[in-house]
Amino acid sequence: MLRSIQQTMSGALAAAALAVLTCGAAPARAQSTYNVSISLDYSGPFAAVMDSWYGGQQSVFDWWNETRGKTLGVKLNVKTYDMRYDASQVARTWPQILADDKPIVFLGMGTPDLVSLMKRLPGDKVPMVMGTAMVGPLWTANGWHFSFRPTYSQEFAGLFSYLQSRLPEKRALRVGTVSTQGIPGYVDQVNGVVKLAQTYPDRFVVAGSQWVDNTPINITSQVRELLGTKPDLILVGTNTAQVVATVKAVKELGAKVPVVTSSHNGLTEVAKAVPLSDLEGSYSVFGFAPSMDPSVTAAQIFEKYNKTKGTWGLTAAQTAAQALLATAAIERAVATVGAGKLTGQAVYDALEGPPFGAEHFQGLLKTVAFTKEAPFPTTDLSVKAVTVKDGKIVPVSNDWMPVPELQKW
Amino acid sequence: MLPSGIHFKDHAQELRLLRTGPQRAALLLLLALLALFPLVANSYVIGLAITVAITVIAVAGLQITVGMAGLLNLGQSAFVGVGAFTAAALYANHGMPLLAAVGLAGLASGIVSIVFSLPAIRIRGLYLALTTIAAQVVFPVVVLRLPPTWFGGSAGIGIDRVALFGVAVETPARFYFVALGVMVVMLTVAFNLQRSHVGLVFRAIRDNDIASSVLGVQLGKYKIMAFFAGAVFAGVAGGLYAFYIRYVTTDQFTIWLSIWYLGMLIVGGLSGPLGAILGTLAVTLLQEAIHWGGNRMMAALPQLSGGVIFSVTNIVLGAAIIYMLIREPHGLNHRWSILKSAYRIWPYPRA
Repeated sequence: MLRSIQQTMSGALAAAALAVLTCGAAPARAQSTYNVSISLDYSGPFAAVMDSWYGGQQSVFDWWNETRGKTLGVKLNVKTYDMRYDASQVARTWPQILADDKPIVFLGMGTPDLVSLMKRLPGDKVPMVMGTAMVGPLWTANGWHFSFRPTYSQEFAGLFSYLQSRLPEKRALRVGTVSTQGIPGYVDQVNGVVKLAQTYPDRFVVAGSQWVDNTPINITSQVRELLGTKPDLILVGTNTAQVVATVKAVKELGAKVPVVTSSHNGLTEVAKAVPLSDLEGSYSVFGFAPSMDPSVTAAQIFEKYNKTKGTWGLTAAQTAAQALLATAAIERAVATVGAGKLTGQAVYDALEGPPFGAEHFQGLLKTVAFTKEAPFPTTDLSVKAVTVKDGKIVPVSNDWMPVPELQKW
Repeated sequence: MLPSGIHFKDHAQELRLLRTGPQRAALLLLLALLALFPLVANSYVIGLAITVAITVIAVAGLQITVGMAGLLNLGQSAFVGVGAFTAAALYANHGMPLLAAVGLAGLASGIVSIVFSLPAIRIRGLYLALTTIAAQVVFPVVVLRLPPTWFGGSAGIGIDRVALFGVAVETPARFYFVALGVMVVMLTVAFNLQRSHVGLVFRAIRDNDIASSVLGVQLGKYKIMAFFAGAVFAGVAGGLYAFYIRYVTTDQFTIWLSIWYLGMLIVGGLSGPLGAILGTLAVTLLQEAIHWGGNRMMAALPQLSGGVIFSVTNIVLGAAIIYMLIREPHGLNHRWSILKSAYRIWPYPRA
C-alpha cells in the first residue's frame, strides 16, 4: 500500500516536473515516438544493393516524420538490423528486437524473415510488411505478414496477358520457362504459370520447361531444347545468373526470343553482366510502378531525403513502396486509436481494414486491399513492366496492366 | 599426458573420460556456468548459443563419419534437413512430444543415410565425397515430390507453438536449456563412442581399411554404421533447428551449409569430438566478430557503401580461417592438447 502511494506520488511529481519543463516550449503538438524495425542484408547475397534498398525506406520515413508525422503527433524511430539473409540470424535477433524496440511494425526483406517470423508474429503482435513478391505456398489465411505485391506468377500473368492481347494473330501466347528444381519458390513460379495456362488455355500455353542449375555457367543445350518448342518468350523468374545464362544462350543460338524477368533479377541487374543490346525486347515485370515512371513522385522524396550511398532505381522504388504501405497503415491506426496508443495490433487492424487508396503511395502503387484469406492483395491486381528499347530501359506502358484472375494452385 | 603421481590400477580406469578429481570438478563448473549463462546474456547472445549448440551436434556427427571413420561426407546438411522435416512433421501433424520427435528425427536421418553410405563399401576419398553430394541434390527434390500432407511440399512445415511437457519453450532462455540438454547428451555419446569397441574399429578403418579387414573387421557393416551414427547426430540437430526456427523449407539445407560444417570440423580438428566443439565455437565467434566489425565500420565510415565493407569482411573471414589452418594444421583440438600438457608439467618444458 505504502509502495503504491509512493509510486503514485513520484509519478505525479515527475508529471508536474515535465509540465514545468515543457510549459515554456513552442506550442508544437506533443509527439509520441514509436520504433519501426527493419531487416537488411549487408553481408549476404544482397549486400551490393543494400544502400539503395535502405535508401528507399529511410527517405520515406524521414519524409513522413517531417510532414505527416508532425501533423499527427507521431515520430517513427527506424532501427535497422543486418540479418545477413539468414533465417537463423533472424530467429536469434527477433527476441532482442521485441524486447528492446517493441516495434509497431517490422519491415521484412525476404524468405529468411518470412520463414523465421511467420509463426511468431501472431503471438508477438507485430505485423510484418514485405516488399518482395510472394509465392504460392505462402498463400495462407490469417497471417501477420503483408506484401503489396501478389505472387510472382500473378505478376508474370499481368505481362503475359498484355503481350497476348497484342499478338498479331489470335492465338495463345507460348511461354517457355527456365527454373531450378529443389528450390520451392522457384518451382512455385512455374507451377503458377502452369495454372495460368490451365485456366486460360486459349490465351496461354506452357510451350516447354527447362530445369537448370541454380547458378549455371552455360545452358545453351537446355535453351536449344526450349527454343525447339517455339516459345514467344522465355520466363526466368529465379535469379540474375540464370537470366544472364539464358540471354547468352539465346544469342549464341542466333535466336530472337525475349526473356521475362522479375524485379530482383531484372534488366538493370542483368545489364551489369551483358550489354543492353543483347536484352533488346526483354522485360522486367513487378507489382509497382517503375522508378522512371513520370507519375512516381516518390522519386522527389528520395532525392530530397536519401542519406545513403544508394541511388534511385527499381530497388529503391520497391522499398519506398514498402515503407509507404507501413506509414499508410500507421496513419490509419493513429486515426483509430490515437497518436499516443499505437501498438502492433492497431497497425495490424489497420492493414486488415478497408483498401488503401493510391494517394498514399506517391505514384508507386494502385489501390492496395488486404483480406484475411491471403497475405497479399488478391483482387483488382495490376502490374507494370519495363523493357529494353533502342538500348534504353523504358516503361512498357504508362497504364497499369491488369492481372487475369488466378485461383490458388 | 597426466600430471605425475597419477596411476591407474586397471585399463578401465585409464579409459575413463574423467580420470581425476580436478577434471570432474572442471566439468561440473563448466556445466554450472552454462546453466547460469542465460542469467547474464541478452537474448541475442542466448540465440547465438542455441545456434552453436545445434551446430556442434551436427559437426560432432560429421566428426564420427569423417574424423573417426575417415569417410568423407559432403551431405551432412541434407541429413540435418531430413531430421528437421521429420521432427516438424511428427510434432505439428501428429502431435508427438518434442523430445520424442527430435529422437525419431535422428533415427530417420540415420535410416536415410544408409542409402547413401552403400557406395562407401566400394569407394573412398573424393569418390565417396561425390556420392554424398548426391544426398544433397536428392533431398530437396524428394521432399518437394512427396505428398504435401507428409512434409508440406514446397510450402514447408510450420510449428505454431513449441512446448515441452506442456510448458512453452518459445523464449530464447527456455529453448537454450532444451538445446543445451540435447547437446550434452549427444556429446556424451560422441565422447564415449570414441573409446568404445565400435569407435576403435572406426579408427582402424580410417587408418588402414585393408589392414583392418585383414584383422577381421567387416568393412561394409562398419562403414554403414559410421554413416548411420553421423547422420543420427545430424537428424537430432535438424530436429532442434526445426523447433528453434519453427518453419522448415528445403532451401534452408544447402550444400554450402555442409561445407561450413566440414570447415568447422577441420578448423577444430578431426581427431575427436572436442574438435567439433572448438571448431564450431571458433568459426561462429569469428563470423560474429567480423560482422560486428563490419557494422562498426559502416557507422564510422558512411562514405563507404555497405556492399564494399561486407565484401571486405568476407575476405577477412576467409583469410582468418586460412591463417588458423596454417598456424595449426591439426586443428584447435591439437593446440588445446599442447596447452593442457604444458600446464600439467609446468614449470618443466615440453619435450
